[in-house]
Amino acid sequence: MAVLDIRNLIYWYRTRRGAVHAVDNISFKLEQGETIAVVGESGCGKTSTANAILRLLPKNVERYEGEIWFDGQDIMALGNEDFRKQVRWKGISMVLQGALNALNPTVRAGAQVAEPLIVHYDVDRDEAMEQAIAAMKRVGLPQDIARRYPHELSGGMKQRVVIAMALILKPKVVILDEPTSALDVMTQTNIINLLKEMKAAEGLSYIFITHDLGLASDLADHVAIMYAGEIDEIGPADHVFVHPKHPYTGRLLASVPRLRSEDAPEFIPGAPPDLTRPPPGCRFHLRCPVAFEKCGWVAEEFVDRLRLLQATTQGKEGFPRFSEVEARGTQMVVLRADSDSPETLAASFSEFVKSGRETNPFLKSVRSVDAKTKAVAVTLHEGAPPPLIGEEWRAACWLVQEATAHDTIPA
Amino acid sequence: MAAPVPIGLKAALLDAVRTKSGMVGTGMLGFLILLAILVPVFAPYDVIKAWGGTDAWQDNPKLAAPEWSEVFSGGKHLPRTIFLTPAGTPGGFLKFRTTENVSDGKGNWNNFTFLGLKKTFGFQADDFPSEMTVYLNTMFTQAGNLSKPPAISVIFQRPDNKNLTLLDDTPRLSTTDINRFPNTKSNAYAVSQPIKDTPSYKILDNLREWLIANNVTTRAEAYDPQFYVQPEVLLFAQLDRSMLSKSTAHVLKGDYSLRIELVGFENTDDANARGIVFGTVFGLAGTDDARHDLLVGLLWGAPVALAFGTAGALVVVLIQMILGAISGWYGGAVDELVQRAADFYLIIPTLPILILISLLYRPSIVAILFILVAFGIVGSTTKVVRSIVLQVKEEQFIEAARSYGAKKTRILFRYILPRVMPYTFALIALTVPAFIFLEASLSFLGLGDPVLPTWGHTLGLAYNNGALFYGFWWWIVFPVVGIIFATIAFALLGYAFDKVLNPRLREQ
Repeated sequence: MAVLDIRNLIYWYRTRRGAVHAVDNISFKLEQGETIAVVGESGCGKTSTANAILRLLPKNVERYEGEIWFDGQDIMALGNEDFRKQVRWKGISMVLQGALNALNPTVRAGAQVAEPLIVHYDVDRDEAMEQAIAAMKRVGLPQDIARRYPHELSGGMKQRVVIAMALILKPKVVILDEPTSALDVMTQTNIINLLKEMKAAEGLSYIFITHDLGLASDLADHVAIMYAGEIDEIGPADHVFVHPKHPYTGRLLASVPRLRSEDAPEFIPGAPPDLTRPPPGCRFHLRCPVAFEKCGWVAEEFVDRLRLLQATTQGKEGFPRFSEVEARGTQMVVLRADSDSPETLAASFSEFVKSGRETNPFLKSVRSVDAKTKAVAVTLHEGAPPPLIGEEWRAACWLVQEATAHDTIPA
Repeated sequence: MAAPVPIGLKAALLDAVRTKSGMVGTGMLGFLILLAILVPVFAPYDVIKAWGGTDAWQDNPKLAAPEWSEVFSGGKHLPRTIFLTPAGTPGGFLKFRTTENVSDGKGNWNNFTFLGLKKTFGFQADDFPSEMTVYLNTMFTQAGNLSKPPAISVIFQRPDNKNLTLLDDTPRLSTTDINRFPNTKSNAYAVSQPIKDTPSYKILDNLREWLIANNVTTRAEAYDPQFYVQPEVLLFAQLDRSMLSKSTAHVLKGDYSLRIELVGFENTDDANARGIVFGTVFGLAGTDDARHDLLVGLLWGAPVALAFGTAGALVVVLIQMILGAISGWYGGAVDELVQRAADFYLIIPTLPILILISLLYRPSIVAILFILVAFGIVGSTTKVVRSIVLQVKEEQFIEAARSYGAKKTRILFRYILPRVMPYTFALIALTVPAFIFLEASLSFLGLGDPVLPTWGHTLGLAYNNGALFYGFWWWIVFPVVGIIFATIAFALLGYAFDKVLNPRLREQ
């Protein structure tokens, strides 16, 4: 049985510009003694997922829904006080992002490690300190560190203190939120090895949040690739990293620089979408090199892309000469020309779509081009968000579905 | 990068004390604290209890400058107070007493008592004494009109042997005193500035007659209504016409004697005397118009100001700090309530309200403190601390504390308040002078504690008595110096804290 089973978790928060869809309907399971790595770009909702699991919510929560089954109990149903007493740290603990700042500068390291004990079990100070020192020894910290203040410790030491603190109540699940992000590589390795040791020794399950694919591949049994608040691909680490199904996973892996290879790292053009208005259909389709008809193009995006293209390739041979382009509803774009008749424009635009669809995937969304009396109506394909398809290894991409139908995996 | 802000209260304290201004401030504060500890030992609270009365101070000269101000008098030797102590004390009056029984031949015996008291004292100063008073304690029997009260003469002997009788008196008892045996009557004879219709008022006429007899003035001149008799000058001046004005008179240096002669009509009659020739300088800090030794008042001002300022600042700032932290940490309705209350309290004019309360109730210093605290539970510190808390609460370690399940109150007291404490300490140090000033202002207006001699109280009295106008500088300078000293001590400490906690202000 899974120790942690997250089903349809939704966590949005309000801003002045609208609700940010930070975590949008994600589901995954974590088995006892396993590590799942949650990987993605900055701002894709990794840390929000962690906060949502531990219910560390800000005041401006818009939606917070779903089920989180922990140890056979839906902890989303617990009251705040019960949640604090039963789940936080006792069941699920967390190594915070930027752990170097997660220590109270006015409290000695030992007392800090002992805090959860005092908070949860009301242990008296001396005993708590004893246990704290024992916990610090387990993570490889000498006893005298307990007497020091955080600013007297090195980054690696602080990280160890934070880990000792996360483990002191012997939780079943530990969320590691970029635990090594501010550390040098040697220290990173040490910390990762320590985490592995602790996992083996105490039978922990980790949710390892990172943007470092190397570390994820090293530590994780399973990988969940997040993009724009959703999980794009989730599956066993050896599969996902070796033969990524989702185009985003593929691009992500291609962007990692390699030490002993001639391959230059690639980048993904564009920026992650604005999460207050996530793109319809597949959220990655705007940046996707292999996007096609079904990915969910809408008229507005189409117009933006077309204008951009017009601005960069103005006056070139074969580019249709339209003067105005305008979205009508979600699936229709209207083109007008000054000189050419609608028929001529329709013909040249159809020709342009046919020839340019491989270099500009958004043109694949054109379903029909019709000449009207005064203008040209371009109708787009209807799209929809792709479902996560698969059993053990799932990906959310229309291509994957097609590939499954044809029994091949896209490169 | 700026030097890191020290972490924790202890570190901030140590760092602050190590700065130059911190060291000076600590030194000054240490001196004040030492005073506060020692003063009650050397001048117990009883002295202060007597401050409002006159009895404890009547042997001090009035409005005397500090003794050391003699240095600035151009080499003059200014008169100190001379005590003519009663018979029976070392160096006191010499006493001669004898009784005699005389028969009138018809079987009646008349009983007499002859008594003489004499005290010789040297007067070597270059200025005239400020006053002179003779106290006479007479014991006699008077039952109805059966016996006569004794007859008393007070004779003043000068080095030039131009002696004079200051007064003759027969002490009489008021009707309420009659039939108490044995009767004692204490008379104080103010030789200088005698009050009309008292026995000692005769001194003035006796002096006029003495002047006439010594050919200093004519009779007409002496009894002219414009003629002003200054006994303390005439008695101690060289006998010539220059003696008529204090500005021209020359002091006659030498040995003077005060002699008191009594003839009683009972064998039991007795008397003792005591006299004071008041000087013009006194002690280290001089005296005021009520003969208070200002040094006592000044020294007592230190613990009072220190206790009042520190207690007030500590309580007010701590309450405001905690409310500000609660306001910032919990937010929402609590925040709104506390902040609007703070706005309201900030616009309330505390001083006028205090003046009103003081006028109506004359509260003691403790009551004033309570009123100030009541009017200071929220205020500017609430706002400052709230803004700091708003910053601190977004820090990662607060999030960490929340994630491991610490309760909100625990986070507030264990994580947020320790971060705010050092700033609060600077605020306390800077608020103490405000409280000292406030107490001084109230006392100055005559609305402070009516009993305690605080610095402000002393200043207020000085102002009301025109000290500045008449040049009683010591009455003003010392309390002002006290207030400034205490204020600077705390201001320097506050400044030191500020420097430590705001690295931008730090010197390179």
